[in-house]
This record gives sequence, C-alpha cells and structure tokens, in this order.
Amino acid sequence: MALLDQPDVLAPLPPVGLHFIEALDHSGLFGRGGASFPTGTKWRAVAQRSRGDAVIVVNGAEGEPQSKKDRMLMSTRPHLILDGAFIAARVLRARRIVLYIGEGYIAARDSMLRALAQRTEPERGIVSLAAAPARYVAGAESAAIHFINEGVATPTSAPPYPFELATLVQNVETLAHVAVLARTGAIPGTVLLTMAGGVARQGVIEVETGTTIAEAITRAGGPSVAPRAVLVGGYFGRWMDNDEARRLPVVRESGLGCGVVGILPMSRCPVCDVAAIMGYLAGESSAQCGPCFFGLRALADACTRIASQGSNPVALQRLERWAVEVRGRGACKHPDGAVIFLSSAMSVFAREFELHQSDHRLRQSA
Amino acid sequence: MSLVLLSAVVILGILSTQRVQGSFWPRFLTTGLHRNLALMTVVFLVLHVVTAVVDPYTNLGWAAALIPFSSYYRTFWLGLGVISFELLLAIVVTSLLRGFLGHRTWRVIHWLTYAAWPVGVVHGLGTGTDTFSAWMLAITGACIAGVGIALVWKVASGSSDPLADARATFRREAR
Repeated sequence: MALLDQPDVLAPLPPVGLHFIEALDHSGLFGRGGASFPTGTKWRAVAQRSRGDAVIVVNGAEGEPQSKKDRMLMSTRPHLILDGAFIAARVLRARRIVLYIGEGYIAARDSMLRALAQRTEPERGIVSLAAAPARYVAGAESAAIHFINEGVATPTSAPPYPFELATLVQNVETLAHVAVLARTGAIPGTVLLTMAGGVARQGVIEVETGTTIAEAITRAGGPSVAPRAVLVGGYFGRWMDNDEARRLPVVRESGLGCGVVGILPMSRCPVCDVAAIMGYLAGESSAQCGPCFFGLRALADACTRIASQGSNPVALQRLERWAVEVRGRGACKHPDGAVIFLSSAMSVFAREFELHQSDHRLRQSA
Repeated sequence: MSLVLLSAVVILGILSTQRVQGSFWPRFLTTGLHRNLALMTVVFLVLHVVTAVVDPYTNLGWAAALIPFSSYYRTFWLGLGVISFELLLAIVVTSLLRGFLGHRTWRVIHWLTYAAWPVGVVHGLGTGTDTFSAWMLAITGACIAGVGIALVWKVASGSSDPLADARATFRREAR
C-alpha cells in the first residue's frame, strides 16, 4: 500500500524495541534526503552510542529548490511523520526530538504543529521546533546539527559523524516509511518523486520501486514538449540523456537523491540553464573551504562566459580541468555535488557546449 | 641537524597559516615542504636517539630514551629531549590519522608544536656536546631568530583568511 494511501490518523503506536532495527535492515529502507543511506545501519550506529540521550532530528529543511515532496508530506501526513519520529525516539532512547523545517514552509510547519498538539504520547514533551534557514546546504546532516546546537546552518567537517554524537538526522519521508513499517510490518515499497520542468503535470508523485523514469513521466501527464535530457536527483544529481534516463529504474542504486526528476525541453538552451544553476550553487557555498568558495565561483563564471560570449576549446578544457581540482576538497559534499552536476552536463550536452554561440544559432538551426 | 630541520618545519607551518605565496612559490609548496621536512625531522630524531642509545660510551639504555627524566646521565636535560621527541611523535601520528580524528582534535594536538620546539631548543642548549662553540651557537641562534621572526610576523599581520568576509556574511544569513 502506497505511502500516500495511508490514512493520517491518531492511533496508539505499536510496541517497538531494538529488534525494530533488524526489521529496518530486512525492509531495505534507505534514506530519502539525498544520500540514500541504509536506514537500519544508521539507526544501529546511533543506538550503540545512545545512553538515553539521543537526539532525533526530523529533517524537513528541503533546501533543494526543485523538491516539493517533503513539504507536501508534512502538510498532508504529519501524524505519519510524527509516528516515525516517536518510534525512533523509543528505539534509540532519545531525550530530544527536533522538527527542523524550512523557514518558508509555513503550511507544512503549521500542519506538523497542529498534529503535534493532538498527540498524547510522552514524546510530545520532548519535541521542539527549529526553522531551517532557506539555504541550499542547511539541510545537510551536519548543518542541521550545527544549527540546532549553535544557531548557524553551516556544514561541519567529519569526524565526528552525526551518529557518533548519538544524533539521528532523518528525512521526513524516511520517517513516514518507518511508521508504516512499524504499523503494518512492511514498507510501502515506493518512492516520492518531484516531477519538474517539461512535464504536463509538475509536482509530487509516488511510484513503486522499480518503476522506470519513462513511466514516472507518463504518470506526470507525459512530456509537455519534446524532451532533450533529464536531471536526475536535483541540483545535487546528474544529467542524463533523455533515452538513457527513460530506461532508469527508480531503485536505490540509481542515485535518485532527493527524488527530483527535472525534464529539460528541446526548446531550452542547456548551456544557459547549466550556467545559471552553477551560479546558484556557487552562491550557496558557506564560504568555509577555499576550493568550494573560489572554485565553484570560478566554474560558474566560466560557464556564464561560455553562455554569454560563446564557446571555444580553451574555455571548455579549462572548465574540465578546474572541475577535477575542486572535487573532494570541501569539508562537506557541496563542491562534489556541484562538480558532478557540471561534469554530467558537459558530457550529456557535449555538442551544445562545443557549438554554443552567444546568439544561440545552434538551437535555431537544430 | 634535527634542530635545524624542526625549526624549518615550524617556520613553514607558520608561513602556511599566513598563506604565503609568490609567482615562483605556489602555496602548496609551503605545505608540501612542511609535511616532507616534518617526516624527515622524525627520521633524523630517530637516528639521533638510536645513535645516542647504542653508543657504548654513553651507555644510556632504551628506558632513558623513552621515559622522560629516567636517565642517570643529565637527568633533566635529557628528559627535555625525550619530551620534545614524544610530543613530535604525537603530532606526526595525529597528522597521519587526521582523517579519522576530525579537524578540531588534530588542530588542538598540532598546537603542541609550540611546546615541542622550545623544549627541543633548551634540550640542545643544556646537554649538547658543542653547545658553546661558535658554530653551534650560530646555528641555534639562527633557528631561534628564524622561528621568532616568523612568529612575530604572524602575530603582527593577524588573520589573512580570504574567506573571512564571505563566511561572516553567510553565517549572518544562515541563522
């Protein structure tokens, strides 16, 4: 039964203990925030370090600009998310639950607080609210913890890893799946996707695991215009050629990240769009590490120059060389994500990058 | 020789915090030299300790080389040398394991350098065989002057973090 078919009702929580972690392992549930990390493994690491003092962070920061599924779930299934958080608190013996919700998501926040007010479990008393700043990196695990502890949503270097601090940072969709597992003995076996760009019906859909991207596009009303390529996983994901993306199954190994599927129509200029998004990602660096702050800015500027003044082989080579030098050199994964985005774009849109001219003659002649 | 190397390592370490660079001296050269000379220092120090121990004339024994102030011979001055060496070992080992320790832990331990270097200098002054010969005094003096100048310059020039402004802006906005 799909996640969105579940009723959002008040019902006593099923009894849970440490054995529930084995159930998580067997279910194969993985995180829906972007890293696709196995949920059971994460819970076990926290459980081993908890002395009744674990902290559960309910991550609804949703900093990915194209993603809408976390907001939608908080607005429509708040009890399911709270169920998951309370179950986590019981299994991991938590002293604190923090609802970390994007500061602009008023409806989602109000929905969660309304649901919380209806709860009667003792866990209600340990819940607090934190408004996640509207910055791209604010949803990263370490940034969430840093914000809750010190009021600044910047990622921190690891170690210490969050689980070493007996802290579980878990995406709201993952927690809803946890609740269904505890209540019914099985996870829904589905994934929430946010369909963006050139589809007839943009927005959130729920698909069975194993569904192809082609079927997901059909569920979203089909392409609205002729598609050129697909951005799988949002700005932290990668570009894929349209035909290749359509065959991709919705499974953990496909690297769907936070579940954003963006369809780029033929009518748009990929070089200009990539340059704009690189500019956004450069501006979202938290300026803690030089290679990220200066490197992403240099990459974005180089993309913008190609987009506005036209391409040449030297500029392209430099772009490729710089991209390699930035990767892996930040305390967090922000520069890596941006570089994967750029590198995949340069390979999928190799022809457009090579032939791009300032007046877009390529696009008109094609 | 160990003192000269160690002093060079300390100076390079200070220079790397100040992001010194020029057209013929890229920044990675400072950190690369710092790292390689540090490992070389340890090799020289091991040689220094081993030769001192196995030298039949001194008859120090391994315990004296590893446990501070356990030597019957010049207990205090030798003890300083042992302490300095062991501090350096801690610094090198934590640097090699930095990825497992976390930045903060590594950094705190790395500050021990500021203890290890002067202790090493005093050890040399206290128990060196040629301490007061002109050439040894010149070497020791040059080492002290070099590190001293680098330190004064670091303190005087303050932070040269090129990210300071951008970071402060982001932190203000990400609240």
